[in-house]
Amino acid sequence: MPVFSRRVAVTTFLAGVASLMVLAGPADAADITFRHASGETTFSKQPVKVLTFDIATLDTLTALGVDVAGVPKGHKPDYLSKYDGGNVLTIGTVFEPDYEAVAAAHPDLIVVAGRSRAKYADLAKIAPTIDMTVNSEKFLSEAEENVRKLGTLFGKQDQAEALIAKLNASTAELKQKSAHAGKSMLILTTGGKMSSFGPGSRFGMLFSDYGFQPAESTGAKGMHGNPASYEYILKENPDWLFVIDRDAAIGREGAAKKMLDNELVAQTTAAKAGHIVYLDPTSWYVVGGGITAMQKTVDQLTAAVDKK
Amino acid sequence: MKYLISASLLIICLAAVSLFVGVSDVSLARIIDGTADQRQIMVLAVSRIPRTIALLLAGSGMAIAGTILQMLARNRFVEPSTTGTVESAGLGMLVVLLVAPDLPVMAKMLVAAVFALAGTGLFLAVLRAMPLRSILMVPLVGIMLGGMISAVTTFFAYRFDLLQSMGAWANGDFSAVLRGRYETLWVAFALTIAAYIAADRFTVAGMGEEFSTNLGLNYQRIMAIGLVIVSMVTASVVVTAGVVPFLGLIVPNLVSMAMGDNLRRSLPWIGLCGAGLILVCDIIGRTINAPFEIPVGTVLGVIGSLFFLYLLLRRPSRVA
Repeated sequence: MPVFSRRVAVTTFLAGVASLMVLAGPADAADITFRHASGETTFSKQPVKVLTFDIATLDTLTALGVDVAGVPKGHKPDYLSKYDGGNVLTIGTVFEPDYEAVAAAHPDLIVVAGRSRAKYADLAKIAPTIDMTVNSEKFLSEAEENVRKLGTLFGKQDQAEALIAKLNASTAELKQKSAHAGKSMLILTTGGKMSSFGPGSRFGMLFSDYGFQPAESTGAKGMHGNPASYEYILKENPDWLFVIDRDAAIGREGAAKKMLDNELVAQTTAAKAGHIVYLDPTSWYVVGGGITAMQKTVDQLTAAVDKK
Repeated sequence: MKYLISASLLIICLAAVSLFVGVSDVSLARIIDGTADQRQIMVLAVSRIPRTIALLLAGSGMAIAGTILQMLARNRFVEPSTTGTVESAGLGMLVVLLVAPDLPVMAKMLVAAVFALAGTGLFLAVLRAMPLRSILMVPLVGIMLGGMISAVTTFFAYRFDLLQSMGAWANGDFSAVLRGRYETLWVAFALTIAAYIAADRFTVAGMGEEFSTNLGLNYQRIMAIGLVIVSMVTASVVVTAGVVPFLGLIVPNLVSMAMGDNLRRSLPWIGLCGAGLILVCDIIGRTINAPFEIPVGTVLGVIGSLFFLYLLLRRPSRVA
C-alpha cells in the first residue's frame, strides 16, 4: 500500500510539472533557438550585451552595425581599431578567458570559436554561449552561414544578405581567374622558419574556395602545416607563391620578405613573374571568417591575379 | 692516428651523402661528368654545401662544448642543455626579439652569448655553494636552473605573443640554412680550435681546483676561458639553427668510454663523432618525411633520450 501511494504522489507531481510546462509553452515558442558547432542555445530575447572571443564574429557584427561590449586582448585589424586599446571591456585572451570579468559583465551572449572553443563549456555556465567555429574544409560556406545566422539573431537579415551577395559575386569572379593562374603554393613564416599549407589544411580555402590550383606535392593538411625548405619551393616551382607572415599578423615587424629574398626563391617562376603575394596577415591569421576580412581577402587575391 | 684518418674519411663520406640528399635532384654523377644544369649547381652552392658545413660546424662545436662543460663541472651528465646555458641563450634571443629585432646576426649572437655566459656562470656558482652527495644532483640542479630560466622566457614570450616565434628556434633545424645565413658558425669553429690548443689545461682542470693549482695552473683563468668557449659556441648554434640537444652529452661519454679523458687525444674524436652524429640525424630527418623535413633537434632528442637513459641505467663503472 505505501508503495502504491508513493506512486500516486510521483504521478501527481509529474502531472503538475507537465501542466506547468504546457502553461509555459507560448513563451517558448517566441524563443530563438541558435544551432552552432557545439550544440544549441536558446535565447528568450535578442541579446544586447555581447562578449566575443572570436574576432571573426567581432568583424561580422561590426559590419552589421551591432555593438560588442567586450573583446579579448591582442592585435586587431585597423577597421576594428575601436576595439583595440582600453575603449572597451577586456575579457582575457582568445586562449584564456578572464572568467571574473566575463561574469561581472552579465552578458546576454558570449561567442567562442576556433582558438577559444575549448572554453565553451566553462563559459556556457556563465551566460548563453555560441560556438562559431568554422571547419576549414568547408570554410566559405560555413563562414557565410555564420554571417547569416548572426544577422538573423540580431534582426539584421537584410544587411547580412547584402554583404553575402557581394562576397559571392566577387568570389565567383575570382574563381574564374584563379583557375587559370597556374599552380600555387601557400607558406606561413614565423621566427625565421616556414611551413607549407596544402588543400585540406587550415588555410586550404585558397585552393578549395578561391580556386587556385595547388602545386604538385603541396599536401600538408592539419593545423600547423609541414616544415618546408627553400629547396622545396624551388623544386615545386610554383607560378604563385602566397605568404602569410605570422609575425606581422600579431603586430610585430614581419620578416617574411627578408627570408624569401634569397637566390633559391629568386629562381622560381613566381619570383621571376612578380607573383609572390604577401596575404593580408590579419585577415588570414587573426580574423578568418569575418565578413569584412573575407571580402578583403577576395579583393586582394583578385587584385593580385588582375595585375599579372 | 691511423684510426683518426679513417674516421675522417667516414665523416667525409657522410658529408657527401648529406650533399646529395634533398628535395631537388642533384646527382653526383651529372656534376662529375659535367651534364648538370645550372640550377643543380646553384642548389649545391647556395643550399647544400652551406647546410652540410653548418651541420659539421654545429655538431663538432656542440660536442666539444659539452666536453669542456663536463670537465669544468666535473660531471659526466652535464651538457649545455642541462646546465641552463641553452635556456639562457634563448632568453638572450628573446630580449633581442623584444628590444632590437633588427640587429645583425652577429650582434644577436653576442647578446645570446653574454646571456649564456651569465647562465652557465650562475650554474657553476650554485654547484660550488651546495654540497653534492650524488653525481646525479649536478644535472638535476642544471635542469632545474634551466627550467627556471625558460619559465621566465616563456612568461615574457607569452605576454608579448611570441611563443610561436620562440618555438621556431627552440628546436634545432637546418632547413633555413643558406649561403650567407650560417656564417656565424665559423665563430664556433674558431673557438673549437682554441679549445684544442687549451686541451691539456682542461684535462688538468677536470681534476679539480686544488690539483690544478698544485700543478701551477691558473684555475680561475682556465675556468673563464672554458665558460666563454662553451657560451659562444652554444649561442652561435642557437642563433643559426636552434637548440641541438644531447649532442654534448652522448658524444663525450662515448669517446671517453673508448679512450679515456686525455682531451689532447680525445678532442679530435669528439669533434668528428659530433659532426657524424648530427649529419646522420639530419639525413634521417630529411629522408623519412620527404619532401618535408623533420627538424634535426627532434631526431636527436629521440636518440639522445634513449642514450641518456642507457647511461643512467647501466652498471656504474667509469661514469663520474
